[in-house]
Amino acid sequence: MDFYKKWFWPLLLPSILLFGFVILFPFVVGVLNSFLAWRGTYYFDPETGIRATNLFASFVGFDNYANAFADERFIRALVYTVQYTLVAVVVVNFVGLGLALLVTRARRGAGLFRTVFFLPNMLGGLALGFIWQFIFQIVFTDILFSPEGLMHIPFLRYMTQDSTKALFALVILNAWQYGGYMMIIYIAGLNNISRDYYEAASIDGATPLRTFRSITVPMLMPSFTVVFFLTLSNSFKLLDQNIALTDGEFNTRLLAMQILRTVKDTAPPDYGKAQAQAVIFFILVASITLTQVYVTKKRELEL
Amino acid sequence: MTVKPRESVALRADTNYFLKKRIGYAATYVVLGLIALYTLAPLWFLVTNSLKDQAEIIRDPLGIPRTASFQYIIKATQEIHFFRSLGITFSITFVSVGLIVIISSIGAWILVRNHTRWSQVIFMAFVAAMLIPFQAIMYPLIQFFDTLGLKNVTGLVFMYGGFGLSMSVFLYHGFVKGVPKGIEEAGIIDGCNIFQLFFTIVLPLLSSITVTVIVLNSMWIWNDYLLPFLVIGNSTTKTLVLELYFARILAGQFGNPWELIFPAVLITIIPIVIIFLFLQKYIVQGITDGAIKS
Repeated sequence: MDFYKKWFWPLLLPSILLFGFVILFPFVVGVLNSFLAWRGTYYFDPETGIRATNLFASFVGFDNYANAFADERFIRALVYTVQYTLVAVVVVNFVGLGLALLVTRARRGAGLFRTVFFLPNMLGGLALGFIWQFIFQIVFTDILFSPEGLMHIPFLRYMTQDSTKALFALVILNAWQYGGYMMIIYIAGLNNISRDYYEAASIDGATPLRTFRSITVPMLMPSFTVVFFLTLSNSFKLLDQNIALTDGEFNTRLLAMQILRTVKDTAPPDYGKAQAQAVIFFILVASITLTQVYVTKKRELEL
Repeated sequence: MTVKPRESVALRADTNYFLKKRIGYAATYVVLGLIALYTLAPLWFLVTNSLKDQAEIIRDPLGIPRTASFQYIIKATQEIHFFRSLGITFSITFVSVGLIVIISSIGAWILVRNHTRWSQVIFMAFVAAMLIPFQAIMYPLIQFFDTLGLKNVTGLVFMYGGFGLSMSVFLYHGFVKGVPKGIEEAGIIDGCNIFQLFFTIVLPLLSSITVTVIVLNSMWIWNDYLLPFLVIGNSTTKTLVLELYFARILAGQFGNPWELIFPAVLITIIPIVIIFLFLQKYIVQGITDGAIKS
């Protein structure tokens, strides 16, 4: 209709401007910069060893990428992030679904439990990271799991001072924080399943396990898609909790922190290399989340 | 006589069934209660240890404070300039979210109403941008805004506007499609101009998705650490999260000053806990809708 047509560009202009200035332009520049000897405030000319007079002089091809892959810290962060994501996605999903099943079973007080489980989500990763750092360093180490404590479990002591243990410490923290969020999504999914299916199943004499496997799980597929998407991308991009818990000490840097700290590791700060890592990070995040959405969506459709 | 034993078997099976159900029900509550305790335990440590001195925190981290003292909380309030940083955080969140809501709702609406090849391309660009992680654009973004003279709180608001846009346009876009066009046509015939039409007729109909957009964006912006760290850094206009971070960094060079960290964390999370307890119905609803829509 003409009425709307006339107003199409004027009304879209603010969005397009914001989008262009904040996302599109920096993204394109970022990809370009990953091929340049970029030092943050200026472009470096590797031939003359001084500030480049034009951008072509600063062009280094895939050198930044080669440097990134030759950097032990980057490779370690990459592997560590993948390991963390694998464990975190499974654990957070289990916790979220478990909480949702329990809360929907409760008839009275369900709202109260839901509030309590969701509460940690409202708080920032940094603040929570500091509290959990205390729990791992003092409460776990000196009280609960020390030789004189409740139960002597060496693995649960000094969790922030070892790269493997710290990975599980991060998982514990994030399961505690995000479990409630995923629970909310699963509860919505569970409430959408018609009671009729369960009635039919109980008339047929299905066991609770069978009912869960053959009705609840397939009907929850749309929720799985959303929760997997959220946990995958959250885990891959995790930063605040990583900083608060170990600050990357003991080889515990995840990729997001590695990109942030690369400019501090190098002098003068090598923004070109940091940007190359960021582009690799983008390709990884985009391809993994797209594949995941594609696969789980396909499973939804098959039903 | 032959019927009787059968009856009692049936009766016993029946009471067994109900007994089992009751035990199962009670077990659910026991498990739920234990998990709730586990969930609340860190917050309990936070509150109790905010009232203790360093020595007592280390000696007895789980116990009730022997002589509860508010001096550490008062000290932390000064240390992180609580009222100033609370005001800054609130303003940044409020203005950014307001910007996101207005710009993305009106943009998504016109994208749906004027359906052309351009509108499809623009919409796809917004959706595709959701895949870009923040790390991929942060360095060029900061440099660019610095040259514009916007490496400050004002620039920060615009950056949040840009980052919140994609998802919000996406959410509104899905929702506008469900709004009947007939109401708008009636408005047009009555002589509404485009802004009257949008703000008095369309936007009120979108209120449920507006709640989602507000909730998701506020939660993220309020608690964000990285963007303010890069933009504002250690200047005087720090947000709550930044104050907390720098207080921890500066005081923590020689071990962990728990008697400062605990009260500082406590006062930074109190505002958000209060907001949550009052608005939790909307927050939970907003997240559920957001998850289903996307």
